[in-house]
Amino acid sequence: MPRQDITFTVNRRTVSVTVDPAAPLLDVLRGPLGLTGAKQGCDYEGECGACTVLLDGQPVRACLTPAGKVAGREVLTVEGLAAADALYPLQAAFIAHGAVQCGFCTPAMLLSAKALLDRVPDPTPDQVIEALDGQLCRCTGYAKIVAAVQSAAATLRGEVAPAAPATAAPVIGGSALRVDSVAKVTGAAQYVEDMRVPGLLHVQVLRSPHHHARLLALDAAAARRVPGVVAVLAAEDIPGENGLGDYSEDEPLLAPVGATLRMVGAPIALVVAETPAAAAEGVAAIDVRYDILPHAFEVADALAPGAPHIAGDGNVLSAEQLQMGDLPAALAAAEVSLAREYRTAYLEHSALERETVLGYPDDAGRLTIIGGTHEPYYQQKYIAGALALPLEQIRVILPPTGGSFGGKQDPWPFVATALAVLRTGRPARLMFTRRESFAASPKRHPYVVHNRIAATRAGRLLALRAEIDANTGAYDSGGKYIPNYAIIASGGPYRWPAVDLSARTVYTNGPKAGQYRGYGTAQAAFATECLLDELAQALDMDPLALRRANALLDGETTWLGYSTGESLGFVEVLAAVEPHYRALLADAAAFNEAAGPVRRGVGLAGMWYRFGKSGSLRIEAHAELTRDGQFTIYCTAPDYGQGTNTAMAQMAAETLGVPRAHVAVVNADTGRAPDSGIQGASRATYFVGGAVVSAATNLRAVLLGIAAELLDAAPDTLMLQAGRVTSPTTHAEVTLAEVAAEFDRIGHARRVRGVFDLSDRFPAETRPTYLPLFVTGAHVAEVETDLRTGEVRVLRMIAAHDVGRVINRPDAEGQIEGAVLMGVGAALLEEVLPGHTTGLADYYLPTARSMPQIDVLLVEVAGRHGPFGVKGLGEAAMLPAVPAIINATSRAIGRRLRAIPATPERVLAAIRSDAA
Amino acid sequence: MTTYVTPASVEAALALLDEHRGRARIIAGGTDLLPDMRSGKRTPACLVDITGIPGLREIRVAAGHVEVGACVTFAELRDHPFIRQHIHALAEAAASVGVAAIQNAATWAGNLVQAMPAADGAIVALALEAEARIVDLSGETWQPVASLFAGPGRSTVDPTRQLITHIRFPRPAAAWGTAWQRAGRRPSLILPTINCAARLILAADGGIAAATIALGPVAATPFRAARAEAFLHAARPAPATWAEAARLAQEEAQPRSNPLRASRAYRSAIIPALVESALATAYGRATEKESPC
Repeated sequence: MPRQDITFTVNRRTVSVTVDPAAPLLDVLRGPLGLTGAKQGCDYEGECGACTVLLDGQPVRACLTPAGKVAGREVLTVEGLAAADALYPLQAAFIAHGAVQCGFCTPAMLLSAKALLDRVPDPTPDQVIEALDGQLCRCTGYAKIVAAVQSAAATLRGEVAPAAPATAAPVIGGSALRVDSVAKVTGAAQYVEDMRVPGLLHVQVLRSPHHHARLLALDAAAARRVPGVVAVLAAEDIPGENGLGDYSEDEPLLAPVGATLRMVGAPIALVVAETPAAAAEGVAAIDVRYDILPHAFEVADALAPGAPHIAGDGNVLSAEQLQMGDLPAALAAAEVSLAREYRTAYLEHSALERETVLGYPDDAGRLTIIGGTHEPYYQQKYIAGALALPLEQIRVILPPTGGSFGGKQDPWPFVATALAVLRTGRPARLMFTRRESFAASPKRHPYVVHNRIAATRAGRLLALRAEIDANTGAYDSGGKYIPNYAIIASGGPYRWPAVDLSARTVYTNGPKAGQYRGYGTAQAAFATECLLDELAQALDMDPLALRRANALLDGETTWLGYSTGESLGFVEVLAAVEPHYRALLADAAAFNEAAGPVRRGVGLAGMWYRFGKSGSLRIEAHAELTRDGQFTIYCTAPDYGQGTNTAMAQMAAETLGVPRAHVAVVNADTGRAPDSGIQGASRATYFVGGAVVSAATNLRAVLLGIAAELLDAAPDTLMLQAGRVTSPTTHAEVTLAEVAAEFDRIGHARRVRGVFDLSDRFPAETRPTYLPLFVTGAHVAEVETDLRTGEVRVLRMIAAHDVGRVINRPDAEGQIEGAVLMGVGAALLEEVLPGHTTGLADYYLPTARSMPQIDVLLVEVAGRHGPFGVKGLGEAAMLPAVPAIINATSRAIGRRLRAIPATPERVLAAIRSDAA
Repeated sequence: MTTYVTPASVEAALALLDEHRGRARIIAGGTDLLPDMRSGKRTPACLVDITGIPGLREIRVAAGHVEVGACVTFAELRDHPFIRQHIHALAEAAASVGVAAIQNAATWAGNLVQAMPAADGAIVALALEAEARIVDLSGETWQPVASLFAGPGRSTVDPTRQLITHIRFPRPAAAWGTAWQRAGRRPSLILPTINCAARLILAADGGIAAATIALGPVAATPFRAARAEAFLHAARPAPATWAEAARLAQEEAQPRSNPLRASRAYRSAIIPALVESALATAYGRATEKESPC
């Protein structure tokens, strides 16, 4: 390949590289120059913006800029932003404002903002939005990023001092600096795709191009002859179980010859090679033959007589029903009854970091696997099962992770990478393309919901019947638990005298569906909350009054037959949104008086979300006094951007009584930290936090006991502070390093265990499989719709959530703002169409311009069991946004919308339909 | 595979193309070409980067026309004070191409050669009745932009032996105004569901002297709504006139369905709203000031 010498300036330094001049600048920066702050989020299509750098001061996509074009010019990457001794004001402001979550989009955001501020020192919010538009962020909802840019602009104009987060002020509940954000704003954070390993092999995957086919033959001989190909691995190369354990009970790791491939993207073989190009050539060289079978994408087609057999008994994976009260009697007594059908779409998480896993045999001969996941101990178990290795031969480590939202719970990339490492004995990395991520990673289950609601004329709810069909796609991938989640969410925090709720998961040949923020619940809540709005309209009743009149109260026996295990703050949540709701209603009414082609509407939705999941209720974490008198927490609460690293350190510091900076966290490393249970269902802060607090409490007690001996004082008279223990009475003190030495001298372990145990709190009869832990929230949306085109714009969102107790305010707000924008996407934009959707070019994520003004209301109704009164949040915030937006749109157009996404086409069709 | 050259003159660029006999290709911004090369759709042996050629980076506002160099980016068009103030449709169309980081690299000329039926640059060029100066070894010609489209993604300009050096469009002496309308699945970073540019030139008596309406993607190539334009000629400016022209434009447009973007029926359904808005806005701009010159 002809290469050319190219000399240019990067970060004020002149560099010369010898490269293919048509290669993207991104590859030159990340490769020979080692500047990995520029990220790759799409397939060199300019669709994600994560690679944006400044070329002669202007933002450009490094993936679309040929290297030859930068000769003699100046490139600035995120690594060149900070001075030697100080962060650039934008970097400081991003940290202070909580604008950094997973951090994957952060470098590009910072550079785009810098180019704006260099040109426009005092930008309006709209100018900031315009400058950041098209730099995709999936975590933050953009709000805090815009705020950070405006704050930095004021600093750069010399009007205010550089942003400094209040790290000292209350450890809990304040606005704490994240423990990992400096690395993320400087480009120093090493995500898996950034890691450099000598002798690294590259893994690529042969996948089925057919929706449904039988694998007839596989011949890899030609692929093995491709120069650079080290191994081609197929089903027969798997030493243990060819599967993904209990995560997905019917999904092979690699389909054996003779098996049925149930979706496009189903994996068949791995090619492991010295270069990505050789791996790709190897994949193309595999001779494979298929017998193409008929396929079905929709639940109705998969259940129809004569439907192709996909899996299970009649293509049904699982089903569940819950009946309480006398439904027929309630329906008979109803003065008003509505029956409606609601539909939702396949959604793709679209975390900015694609699925990327790195493995290597470590010095101790263990297989070490590094990758973003919710459950490192689960990955360890799945790898052990497939590779027929003992658990202790496998170590799984969570690196900085560029978002997940449930998508990185799929163990497939971990097990596949481990197989490549095992079979080659060399380090190997598997990095999905964005297109692979769309084809092969789990999606959100599309639902078809038939709901029937009954009430009195005065607005007392009498009954809810729900029949829910969830499309689980080609494989189980956790779909078997979906019916329970769907049922529980569909009833919501309301007083139903009678319910009959049933759900089932159905196989199709669409993409496999799995965990997605709010696992199985958001689609059901969407249907119920929209139907409640329809009921309010039918009764000519205020929708907030309808919900309040029927809201479950704390301590009340619910339609589940028992009361909730955590305090229920739904009434408080509704009270919080009410004044905002009334104000928006007035605004919309005033706007609509003009009777023009653009109309506004306001919608409300509530919800409850069961957090905490099933599994063990005994959660373990460790706290250690280090030799130098500081603290280390060991736990497994994976941080893929939501901020658990910081929350764990905060809670430990608060418990110990020391500054947060004195607490380090070793999180999510099976080689160093204990298993803190399954991760998901918004349980980390509550459960793992509880174990961390327990460990810190235990350590503090032991520590004070030992210090008491040294100081000859009673333990309960002593004060533990930064670096020392003092006696306020005698003024004697001892340093923590001295206390640590005393631990060692007397042979007491400096690492102490803590356990958070709810086993005896909820007797089994009140806990049918799952914990009765619920949080509630309510959102209000104001939208603007163009009656001529059906285009919808969300103007305002009010998002109220009962969080129990705020641990870190910007992080709590950031979870909600991010969920609101994800809700905007789900309500209006996003849909994976099997057979059509390929990647970010045709899956429409919200950009900065899609962002409404978001007001977050954090309601603190203290919890009963969790540390400091916290409750779960991250997924709960996902539930009410979509129905609020759809209800608002329905009100604006005077027609009911019952399918999402409410594309302009669907909205216009509704506008032009006769039915109200 | 590929060499990269940065000639200092148009002549040198043409000589390089000639030397490679079809295996070299002009590159300006490269934002469309790089993905095409990655997918294997284009496999040039040599990229001839013309962005360093003096004179191709200028926007010249002359008495009777505006001339735009081939290497002027959409960001430069978008931000140019005269264009912002007087050629609204062009500034707004430029701001519709991808997002800022794309507009900083992509060029109007490149957008024309890419020849997609809904290319924002092509639609606005049609409404402005723009011409392109095309140069090859046999000489130079000015050709109407409307004549450059052979089919979806196919241009009559062959970038392996020709290049556009300039685009120019007239500045009518009479009062005139332009407008831009665009619908898409999200506000930005999106191909248009329908895009529309309109230009109205007024007669001395206040009537319509000439009208152009361009639409995409409603045909295999960027489309002029000729019947609607003819109807507007000598018509009285009035809301009913815009509505009737919009109806005619809807009739003659033939959009296609795309499951990922919009159906034919939807695209067709929104054409009247977009055309009507564009005409009303263009008329407002034509009358609110004496002349954009």
